[in-house]
Amino acid sequence: MGSIKRISKELTELTQSPPEGITVELVDESNVYEWRVIMDGPEGSPFHDGKFLVKLSLPTEYPFKPPTVSFATKIYHPNVTNDDKGSMCLGMLRADEWKPSSKIAAVLQFARQLLAEPMPDDAVEGRIAEQYKNDRMRYEEIAREWTRKHAC
Amino acid sequence: MNLQDFLAMEESRDRDELIDLRSLDLVSEYDSHLMCPICHCPFVEPVRLQCDHVFCGSCLSSAITAFRSADSDEFPCPSCRNPTQMVSASVPRLLINMCDEIRVRCPLITEGCQEIIPRGHVQSHVEKYCGYRLLPCPDDLCDHMTRSKDVGMDQKCIHRVRRCSHCEEDVLEHEYEEHEKELCPVLEVTCVDCETVVTRAALREHIESCPEVAIPCTASKYACPVKIRRADIAAHEQNCPIVAMGPYFETQNTRLKSLESSMRHLQQRNEIFEDGLANIRSTLIESTRLGSGSNSSGQSTQSDREQQSSARVDVHTDDPADIAASVFSSNATTYLLSLHESLREEVSQLSHAITDLDARASMAIMNESMRIKEDMAHTNAAVNSVRMQVQWLMDPRLHQGTRGGAVRTNSAENEGTRTQLASSVAGPSHTVGQSLGPIRPRRPSDSGREGTKL
Repeated sequence: MGSIKRISKELTELTQSPPEGITVELVDESNVYEWRVIMDGPEGSPFHDGKFLVKLSLPTEYPFKPPTVSFATKIYHPNVTNDDKGSMCLGMLRADEWKPSSKIAAVLQFARQLLAEPMPDDAVEGRIAEQYKNDRMRYEEIAREWTRKHAC
Repeated sequence: MNLQDFLAMEESRDRDELIDLRSLDLVSEYDSHLMCPICHCPFVEPVRLQCDHVFCGSCLSSAITAFRSADSDEFPCPSCRNPTQMVSASVPRLLINMCDEIRVRCPLITEGCQEIIPRGHVQSHVEKYCGYRLLPCPDDLCDHMTRSKDVGMDQKCIHRVRRCSHCEEDVLEHEYEEHEKELCPVLEVTCVDCETVVTRAALREHIESCPEVAIPCTASKYACPVKIRRADIAAHEQNCPIVAMGPYFETQNTRLKSLESSMRHLQQRNEIFEDGLANIRSTLIESTRLGSGSNSSGQSTQSDREQQSSARVDVHTDDPADIAASVFSSNATTYLLSLHESLREEVSQLSHAITDLDARASMAIMNESMRIKEDMAHTNAAVNSVRMQVQWLMDPRLHQGTRGGAVRTNSAENEGTRTQLASSVAGPSHTVGQSLGPIRPRRPSDSGREGTKL
């Protein structure tokens, strides 16, 4: 299948020259569709020093269908749902905005960028977004505490 | 051409006979612009869209089927999402040439072909020139495959087996000559060192014991550089100072090893202790941060500390061999201890509740019994007053009765029936009088109470 070939190619590229703060591996060596990603919190953000476990799952129709990104580690962020799924809302991952030419590396880098600069207007957690906009100090404090509690 | 034509064309293309160019092993680097954004390989039969984005034909056709909504005549470009209706097969020749130029390994590398060729030539190489392509054996009766380079001019089958006349082994026809001259184990060879003639089969064994073969001194691992003939090695080892030192080195080595291992154990233990210390410190910090506020928090830190110390005791008693395991077990112990502590607290709460309940119940019973006692006293008093009244009522009658009876007995002696009647009347009054007798002394108090009651 074409998807497996492209996925394993991207995986080799990502493991051989990983982008900053991102390490990837397969959850199960025999299944290229489920990835485990360790994302370091970007410097200068309240998530700094935290290590976040991110699950990336690729559809069999990849690259024609977008992958899904979810945080297995709890994180206080307006764009990540605060439930068991921890799904992340990325504009480029929506089915009607996805482009087959986008690479997983780009997706992951974008996700990491989102940790540093949340997009409160595109939020899934309205309360956190509100706090991010109005009371940045308190937001950063809670985010730091959650990072210390869950991601260290 | 429009999308329908393009899809039809892609579908009609027969790819069964062609080599999959995407699975080739690329040797040379290629420009990233030559990579199809969909399959991430250099373009294969590229096509171009209106927006000038180029994709492999097959990739684009799967993209169209994935993205086009229900047979509409346009779809978004996989790179820029511009709506697109036309696909153009005319791609700059330059692009195709550059892709064809990329050097790849022959896909028959599994068969042994080591050749590196431009990608554009792979198809023809495999079909015509590669010596490792498998062909059916020229002999119609043989169903083996032959590499094309092994099919000789004479087109004869090479899979026939011939038995070696010397060693009785079955050998393929085309390998027979080589076998007979070089590989047959019965062939005799000369040992290069001692010039003894032995068979091929026995050569290995011979080299193990050949007196002329140069072997290293037994102390070579302790840096004796001597390497001489086996025959002379015994004489050398007698004089070799390093051989003499051998046992000493040996014991030093084992000692070093045991020291290293014990050091590793100690290191691990040290780490565990440091962990424990850090834990204690953190709990201390927490307790100070919580402040000297409530007593209960102080108690809880106290119990925490106890847990810590007991966990540390666990670590102490552990065999150093499973110190690593004890890190986990001490965690578990801490957890269990905390669980135990909370359970104990619960139990003490329960016992508190029980004593409380008990006290309340006995209080209630006491209240109730006091009330009942009072009631009983009242009833007693009432009964007494009733008795008094009855007595008071009975008294005059009794006096009357006895007086009348006495008169009658005095006046008429033989009126038995009358006396009987009178005694029957007097009987009960007598008994009443008798029964009242012993109560008399209590009367003052009774009357006192009666007075208040009445």
